[in-house]
Amino acid sequence: MNLASTEISGDFTSLVEHESHANLMACLQCQKCTSGCPVAAMADVKPHEIVRMVQFGQRNELLASKMLWQCTSCQTCATRCPQKVSVAAINDGLRRLSVQAKSPSKSAVPAFNSIFMNAVRKRGRMNEAGLMASFKLRTMRLFEDMGKLPMMLWKGKMPLWQAAAPGREEREKMFDRATEVKGGKQ
Amino acid sequence: MTYAFFPGCSMEGTAHDYQKSTVAVSKALGLALPEIPGWTCCGSTSAHQTDHLLSVVLPAKNLVAAEGKTVAVGCAACYSRLKTANYEIANDAQMRTSVAKVVGKDYDGKTEILHLLEILARDVGMRKIAQAVKKPLKGLKVVTYYGCLLSRPPEVTKFDDPENPTLMDEVLEAAGATILEWPHKTECCGAGYSITDVTIVKRLTREILAMAKAAGADCIATACPLCQLNLDLRQKDTEKAAGETFNLPVFYFTQLLGLAFGISRKDLGLRSLVVSPQKLLADRGISV
Repeated sequence: MNLASTEISGDFTSLVEHESHANLMACLQCQKCTSGCPVAAMADVKPHEIVRMVQFGQRNELLASKMLWQCTSCQTCATRCPQKVSVAAINDGLRRLSVQAKSPSKSAVPAFNSIFMNAVRKRGRMNEAGLMASFKLRTMRLFEDMGKLPMMLWKGKMPLWQAAAPGREEREKMFDRATEVKGGKQ
Repeated sequence: MTYAFFPGCSMEGTAHDYQKSTVAVSKALGLALPEIPGWTCCGSTSAHQTDHLLSVVLPAKNLVAAEGKTVAVGCAACYSRLKTANYEIANDAQMRTSVAKVVGKDYDGKTEILHLLEILARDVGMRKIAQAVKKPLKGLKVVTYYGCLLSRPPEVTKFDDPENPTLMDEVLEAAGATILEWPHKTECCGAGYSITDVTIVKRLTREILAMAKAAGADCIATACPLCQLNLDLRQKDTEKAAGETFNLPVFYFTQLLGLAFGISRKDLGLRSLVVSPQKLLADRGISV
C-alpha cells in the first residue's frame, strides 16, 4: 500500500472504509458516540468529528491526531451508534494507516505494539516482565513504575520467567504467510 | 462438564490469582478445564491496532486447536478477541479464506466460546452454586464491575445486556453477597494504557472507584485481569492524584465465590491483592 498515491481526498475516504469495514457515510452526526466516550473530554478530535473528517478526507490531521492513541477501544461508540458506524473500527484503521505512513505521533503506543507483536511471533505467549522491560528500554521510561516492581514480585504478580508456547518455527511461518496473503489482496 | 480452557497470558502472570481461584472454584463445582494444547496469545489490543488479518488469525489458530469443543475463557480481552474472530470469519467469506490460507486449515467460526460467568450462570446454574456455598458472604456489600469487552459490542459477544449486565450479580447473590446498584458496571478502566499512558487509567479508575464508594460498596468484584489490575494495583496512585481515599479491595469474582465455598485464602491467591481485604473479611466474619 503506497500512501503517496492517496493524496486526493476521496481516495483517503475509500481507503479508511476499506481498512475499517465501517459504514462511514451512514453517520448522522448525532454525537451519541462522543457523549459516551470515556476519553472525549481530553481528545483533540472527538469521535463524531473523526467520522466527518474521514468523509472530508482530512488525512494529515487524522493520522497525526493524539486521539488515535487515547481511544481505549472500549466499543461504547460502536454499541450505542443508531446507524451502526463503529468509530472504534475506524480508529483501528487510522492507527494502521498512521503507522504505515510514519505519521508524527508522540505516543508510546506504536512502540509498545511493535514489541508486543514481535514477542507473540517469537514466544507465542506474553511474558509481562519481559514486555515491560523491552518497552521501558525502547522508550527510555526507565524509572516510571519502578517503585512497583518489588511489590509486584512480592505479590507474585510478576514471574520473571514464563514458558513460551511450543512451535516457534511454524508460528513464524504463519506470520510470514499473513504478510503474503495481505500483500496479495491489496 | 468439560470445556477447552483458554487461560491467556495474564493468567500466567499478573492475574495468576484469577487462574488459581478459577481452578479451585471449578473443581468445587465439578467442572473440568483442560487447557487448549499449545495455546498462544490472542493478539490482544496490539494485534487489532497493528494488523487486521493477524488479529483474526491468532485467535482462530487457538479455536482450531480446540477441535470443536466449547471454549472457556476467563479474561475479558481474550474473550473479546476470540469472539470477534468468530464473528468476522462467520460473516465475511473473504476473511474466512484468508484465515484458512494463513492458519493452514479452514475454520467456520462456529466454535462456541463462553466466559466463566456464562458457564456458571447458565450451564452450572444458581441452584448448584447455592448448594456449594458453605459460608455465605452475608453482609458483604459488593458492586459488580464488568468493564468493556464482555458485553460490547453486543452483536459480537452476545454476553448479556450491554448497558446493565447481571450475570455476575446473580452468581454472587447465590453466594450470599449483597449486590448494590451502581451506574459504572460497564465503564472503561483504561485497559492496556496501564503501561503506555497511565494518566488515562488514573482518570478513568478515579471515576469508577469514587462511584463505587458513593454507592456504599465494601469492595469491587471483577471478571478481567486488566480491570482488576488497574483498579487494585494503581488504586494508591489514583488516590494520591485525586486527593481522596477509597481503600476498596478489588476481587476477582472467583475469589469471592471461593470464599463462600470455604476454599482457603491460599488456594484463592488472596495474598496477591494489593489493597488488602483482610480487615474487611474479618469485620464481616468471612475468614477461612
